[in-house]
Amino acid sequence: MGAFGHYLTSHFATLRLEFWGLLVGGLATGFIYGMVAIGYTLVYGVLRLINFAHSEIFMCGGFASYFVMKAIVGTSVPSGFASIGLITLGVVAGAAGGAIAATALERVAYRPLRRRNAPKLAYLISAIGASYFMYNLAGKEFGRYNIAMPQLYLNHPVFSIFGAPVELYYLVILIAGLIMLIGLDRLVATTKLGRSIRAVAQDAETASLMGVNIDRTIALTFILGGALGGAAGFLFGLGSGVVYTMGFTPALKAFTAAVLGGIGNLRGAVLGGLLLGLAESFSVAFVQAAYIDVVAFGILVLVLLVRPTGILGERLGRSA
Amino acid sequence: MKLRLLLARPEVKRLVSCLVGVALIELMTGPSGSSTSPTAGISGSYAERFSFFGLFQTVRCVTFLFVALVIFGLWTLWLTWGRRWRGALTSASVAGAVSPVDVGRGRTMLVGFARAIVKFRTMTRLRQVRMVFLLALLAFATVLPHIETDPFWQAAMVEQIEVFVLLALGLNVVVGFAGLLDLGFVAFYAIGAYTTAWVTGALPTAAPFGIHLNPFFAIPIAIAIVMVAGVVLGAPTLRLRGDYLAIVTLGFGEIITIFANNLYGITGGSEGTNQIPHFSIHLGPINYAWGLGPVPYYYLTLVFVVLFIVAFSLLEHSRVGRAWTAIREDEVAAESIGINPLKYKVMAFAIGAASAGFAGVMTAGQTFFVNPSSFVLPVSILILVLVIFGGMGSIAGVVLGAIVIQGVTLYLIHSAPGWYQSSDQLIYIGALLVVMMIFRPAGLLPSRRRKREIGMAEAGEGHMDELLTGDTP
Amino acid sequence: MSDLIFDVDHVSLRFGGVISLNDVSLHQNRGEILAVIGPNGAGKTSLFNSLTGVYQPQEGTITFYAKDAKAMSVIGKKAHRVAGAGVARTFQASRMFSALTTFENVKIGAESHHGIGAVGAMLKGPATRRDEKASDERTIDLLNFVGLRDKANTLSASLSYGDRRRLEIARGLATQPQVLLLDEPAAGTNPSEKLGLANLIRKVRDDMGVSILLIEHDMKLVMSLAERLYVLNFGSVIAEGSPAEIRSNPAVIEAYLGSSVEAMDEQA
Repeated sequence: MGAFGHYLTSHFATLRLEFWGLLVGGLATGFIYGMVAIGYTLVYGVLRLINFAHSEIFMCGGFASYFVMKAIVGTSVPSGFASIGLITLGVVAGAAGGAIAATALERVAYRPLRRRNAPKLAYLISAIGASYFMYNLAGKEFGRYNIAMPQLYLNHPVFSIFGAPVELYYLVILIAGLIMLIGLDRLVATTKLGRSIRAVAQDAETASLMGVNIDRTIALTFILGGALGGAAGFLFGLGSGVVYTMGFTPALKAFTAAVLGGIGNLRGAVLGGLLLGLAESFSVAFVQAAYIDVVAFGILVLVLLVRPTGILGERLGRSA
Repeated sequence: MKLRLLLARPEVKRLVSCLVGVALIELMTGPSGSSTSPTAGISGSYAERFSFFGLFQTVRCVTFLFVALVIFGLWTLWLTWGRRWRGALTSASVAGAVSPVDVGRGRTMLVGFARAIVKFRTMTRLRQVRMVFLLALLAFATVLPHIETDPFWQAAMVEQIEVFVLLALGLNVVVGFAGLLDLGFVAFYAIGAYTTAWVTGALPTAAPFGIHLNPFFAIPIAIAIVMVAGVVLGAPTLRLRGDYLAIVTLGFGEIITIFANNLYGITGGSEGTNQIPHFSIHLGPINYAWGLGPVPYYYLTLVFVVLFIVAFSLLEHSRVGRAWTAIREDEVAAESIGINPLKYKVMAFAIGAASAGFAGVMTAGQTFFVNPSSFVLPVSILILVLVIFGGMGSIAGVVLGAIVIQGVTLYLIHSAPGWYQSSDQLIYIGALLVVMMIFRPAGLLPSRRRKREIGMAEAGEGHMDELLTGDTP
Repeated sequence: MSDLIFDVDHVSLRFGGVISLNDVSLHQNRGEILAVIGPNGAGKTSLFNSLTGVYQPQEGTITFYAKDAKAMSVIGKKAHRVAGAGVARTFQASRMFSALTTFENVKIGAESHHGIGAVGAMLKGPATRRDEKASDERTIDLLNFVGLRDKANTLSASLSYGDRRRLEIARGLATQPQVLLLDEPAAGTNPSEKLGLANLIRKVRDDMGVSILLIEHDMKLVMSLAERLYVLNFGSVIAEGSPAEIRSNPAVIEAYLGSSVEAMDEQA
């Protein structure tokens, strides 16, 4: 007990010292997880299917934005409005890359199965195959090493909260993330597309009887999820660079977030993302770097075993 | 508006599919890029100098464009004329007789062909024919090392083919018989290998009671431990519905990999260990030690492969196998007649794990080293591919699938054509999975029952999906 | 008292805000053909699911008296345990193992009662072979009993609705139950199939001694088969009695559309 107690007190001391810094970092990571988690949740809602290949959509967004930035940014580091413009462009490029990848995925790997009314196992396997294909192809084309994103701004602490510096990078993620998430929330709640998505998620057959074009709705759902995932890829790439394996771990964590919040529930996905990001961030004070991933996977396993419906419950759940 | 109508036409869709498919193949077979020049691969794949079937020099995309157009042409021909051809074939083979519509010399030849296929099929159903066929196969397998004397192939037959046949057999029990999608199957393989290392004293952790055992004795110990691991992993997780189970097993697999890589004191960390002794028997008059040569290992493993095949085959046709079928088809109905789904699922896990654990023992004993990099997620996926490609639920299918895919992979490594790099293998595997699901989900040599089940699921019958999505009444 | 087979005592079942069963009490005697009727949504299938361990009511007790009057509380047990204790059931939309033949479907039911043993199953020792032979014979007997002998090797997915019901009955009987719960066995069948089913149900009780608990909408069928009825409406029991008593019960008549006995007969 003594050794463990000592472990706890010393690590809690570290936590207290670093608290605000870790909080901000955790929130930023959480936003990224949340944005990717929405992709999982949206597709799950309309197809009752976990899109295993979503990790590659994240990666495609990262690479797409990389190429665009590489083409535009010169040798000097921009600042001020140029930076803002470039960041916006990066987000858009990432979103476009993700959306295109998602559409291609849906067309090639899922739609033929839907036409044949294939058993759900076939979708899962097809998704695994597609994921494998995409990321290994990326590895072949773009090399196996991390490629740094061109600098879009000079990263510096913008201001401090209680003594912890808040870097510009985190601010970028928080602002961009907030805008996109709020935008998505409004879109799903108010627009016709949003209503179609919710209708198909509730009851696809009835929705089609009511005149909703199922194919189009599904395609658009993939586009939405892909756009958010791809944009998240850009934001992630800003800080960590892009590489063909970049999708695997963040996407698995994002899936954890989606389940944690309640799969099928959009706000739950965001909530789950934030919680997971914070949990990961704070655990930095307790465990070695190599084991951080174990924390996330451990949460995944725990949530699935103990409360698979998640925090906000499975919105489109079944009785009993 | 006009454009959309144009795009919706089937011919246009076909053409686009051909172009896109060929473009992807160009990428896949083209030169690679790298981190420093990430666009080199793409530009090279399309713009590299390439010969047009030996006639003249041009760039890749031109040659491939031609190929795409040819494929499009053939496909269109197949659709318009092939339909009649296929119809004749199907009706002839179903009725076993000539359909009154089919008259004419060309058609008679076709009908004769169809009749031959039917006769072949009915013949192969006879037990005696199958027995003879299997024995012939066994005889062939026994003499194989003497036919193929290339040392690369001899070593590969054991390490890559036999071991993976065992792994595929094990996963087949889990995925094929019981219908559980396990994406962390490689963990059982790892446990078998590491247990062998531990028991023979090769790990930093001391062997139990300080006794260093011969790897032979590691077999029962490893199998026992791996089955316990299967029960421990399965009991809490197998209550989950299919897609969640897949993710949980994936997560567990990753956790185990991370621990194996980092617990230097227990597992030797990322270096593993390379001090595992070879197999040897010292029992009374029998004194034999397996050395470095692969052939004796080949025979040792072959014996066990045959044993496992026989055991699993018996299992498939026993009441346990039937219970698994019931659970797979309709878990709710199975419960209503007193079958405990959890018990049978855990059993499947443990039994499948046994095969994988044994494969681990064989790998450790033969290659005398154990290292976490052999037990990563891509290996789990590879085993899944072997099972799916061969035909999940079909023992013959997965054995064939393992042999074919591993064989082709090894051939490509050994005598690779210029454009192929061994790391490309994974690209093809991914594509293969997708293609299999679209065109032949039942696999190469499917079990008849699975084929029926898939057909029925497509027709809307049955409750196969409930296992996966958890929709219960 | 010991001649009870089911004793349901003040059972309530809720799903979120919806009350499916509201303080339901009923009992079934051994050897009885008991029917539960009521308008759609009255809670009949929920009752079945509670009796078989699929749903877990929040209040009340359900006691099942197995062989030798051994009492077992159903609530809290898993569905397969309840089935193993002697409660067999059919489903509203027939659930067969569709890719298997009729024979295989019933055989799985017959085998599920043997002790399990993977090793024994693999080794096919003399004991296993004896068991299998016994299951095979039992299966054939049951197929004869329900009249599906000639369809033994047909894929169960190709059976007609009436035959599917028979298959489910045979499969349920294969588990050697004390009671057979039938969920709308006549749904989707034509009049001659209905007659056949009614005769079969009676035969099950008379020849095999299996008690029958039946949900049905077809009034003619129910009134001719059942010895006693319960009527459910909105999750509560509103009446109980013999067919004659139920027919003239005003509360029952009101619960269904129509306010005359003739109208109720027209439901058939």
